[in-house]
Order: sequence, then C-alpha cells, then structure tokens
Amino acid sequence: MPDDDPPFDLAGCLDRVRRQDQMAARELVEHLYPLVIRIVRSHLPRRVAEEDLAQEIFLKMFTRLAQFQGAVPFPHWVSRIAVTTCIDHLRAQKRRPEFRWADLSESEAEVLDNVMTNQNDVPANDAMASHELVHKLLNQLKPDDQLVVRLLDLEQKTIAEIAQITGWNQSLIKVRAFRARRKLQKLFQELQKTERS
Amino acid sequence: MNLNERTTPWSRLAAAARLVTDDRDTAAPYGFATRVAALALAQERKVVSLFERFAFRALGAAFLMAVLSVAANYSVLSPSPALAEDELIEDDAVAVLLDA
Repeated sequence: MPDDDPPFDLAGCLDRVRRQDQMAARELVEHLYPLVIRIVRSHLPRRVAEEDLAQEIFLKMFTRLAQFQGAVPFPHWVSRIAVTTCIDHLRAQKRRPEFRWADLSESEAEVLDNVMTNQNDVPANDAMASHELVHKLLNQLKPDDQLVVRLLDLEQKTIAEIAQITGWNQSLIKVRAFRARRKLQKLFQELQKTERS
Repeated sequence: MNLNERTTPWSRLAAAARLVTDDRDTAAPYGFATRVAALALAQERKVVSLFERFAFRALGAAFLMAVLSVAANYSVLSPSPALAEDELIEDDAVAVLLDA
C-alpha cells in the first residue's frame, strides 16, 4: 500500500512554533519523538524514566529554538541536545558498585565464559544475554567513554558521525574509544581472575 | 584495535549484542505531544510574564521613591515668603561689608 501522507514540512512547522502556535509545537514533538526516543533508549541512565527524559529534551529544544541558526539539519541539532542531556544524567548518577561474576544471570555468565575462552562468535540464540551483559559492562565506564563505545561498537557509527552528534573533536573520540576498550579489556581480565579463584 | 576482526572478547560480545533489535514502538505515547507543547509554550509565557511583573514592580518602586524624595525636600524646593531679603543679607559677610 503506498504511503499517501505528504512529507512533513519542518521549516513551515518551525516558523509556526516560533509564532507560538501550539498545534505546530505538538506536530513537531510527534515528528521528532521516534528520533529522540531511540537516543534516549540507547543511553538511558539507571532509574530514569524514558518518557521523563524525552520530555526534558523537548523542553530544552523549545527553550533553545531561537539559537537554531540552520547551520546543521534540525534533526541533527535535536540529536545533539538529546545526547548531551543523556550524558548529563549519566554523569549525575552515582557510580555503580563493582562488577562481579556472581551478579550475572546463568545465561550471561555462560556467554561471558564463552567469549573469554572461545575465539568463535557467540551463538545467535545468546544474543539477548550478550545484550544484557554488554550494558552491564558499559555501565562500569565513565559516561563519556560509555557513549563513545555505544555509538561506535553497538550502533556502528563512524568517528565523523559521532563528532557531529556529540560536538567533540575526532581525536578526543578516538582517545575515549581507546581508553574505554582498554578498560573493558581489563574488566574481562579481572572477571577471568575472579572466576578462576 | 579493529573490532571487525573480532579478536577480543569485547568485540565478539558486541557483535552478538548487535543482533538484538529494538522492536519497541517509537511513536509518541497518547497525550505526550500535547502536554509537552503546552508546557513549552507556557514556559515561554512564564519567562515573559516574569519580566513584565518585575518591570512593573520596578516602575512602581521608582515612582514611589520619586514622590518620597520630593516630599522630603519640599521645604527646600518651595520658595519661603517668610525669608526676608534682610535676613539673607545678615548672613552674607560680603553684603554686610559693602553696606557698611
């Protein structure tokens, strides 16, 4: 079935929002919600409701709308607000307790054992456990490092794309990625050591 | 460190984690957009009205201070008929000297 919906007139909508048109503001939120919620879900800090964080991002967007000059596409500009808001929340949350083997579920422990001792790929049916494990491991990193690794290794974004999203320069992103992967490597080694003992 | 080579435990784990797709709905929940739009526009109005309120208060305070200062210095500002020219001369040493 062909999609009969006309394309969303973002420029027109922004003009109407600037003239305090509430209907246009609502349309803008509905249009951008999928973009914002995907970012929120990827970088959601612990104990923060995704809807609350999305609302905070949209309110920031409306407050700063006068600052938008059109140098970058509007969705990119909103993405950056979303990412920096998530980072601020991640920085504000307290550090997680030490990561221990005993805290893992049976399937997570199995996957971890598998990746540490086996050079083969993880079986596809262990994908969900791997996903959970990855998030537990990432939570051990500093928020900025966490963000870079998520974007680079999970969302497979390029360094240039990450630079655009975060506003950080490419060298800084490379340094953060290197540091984060080294920390993850260290975590694996520590876990291996504790498991053996 | 090239992740595509899957040489490290992390790279193998990340590759497996990427197989999980997020199937959750990405449409805005019912009422979300209306609430956020109303809050956003109300926020802007609040900022404007806050400015207006402070501006009016400042104007009121300035007017009151002007009235008070005029009232406090009224006696100096108004011409006093009781003050005779002679009295003024008496106080003026130069005038006394010239009169003599």
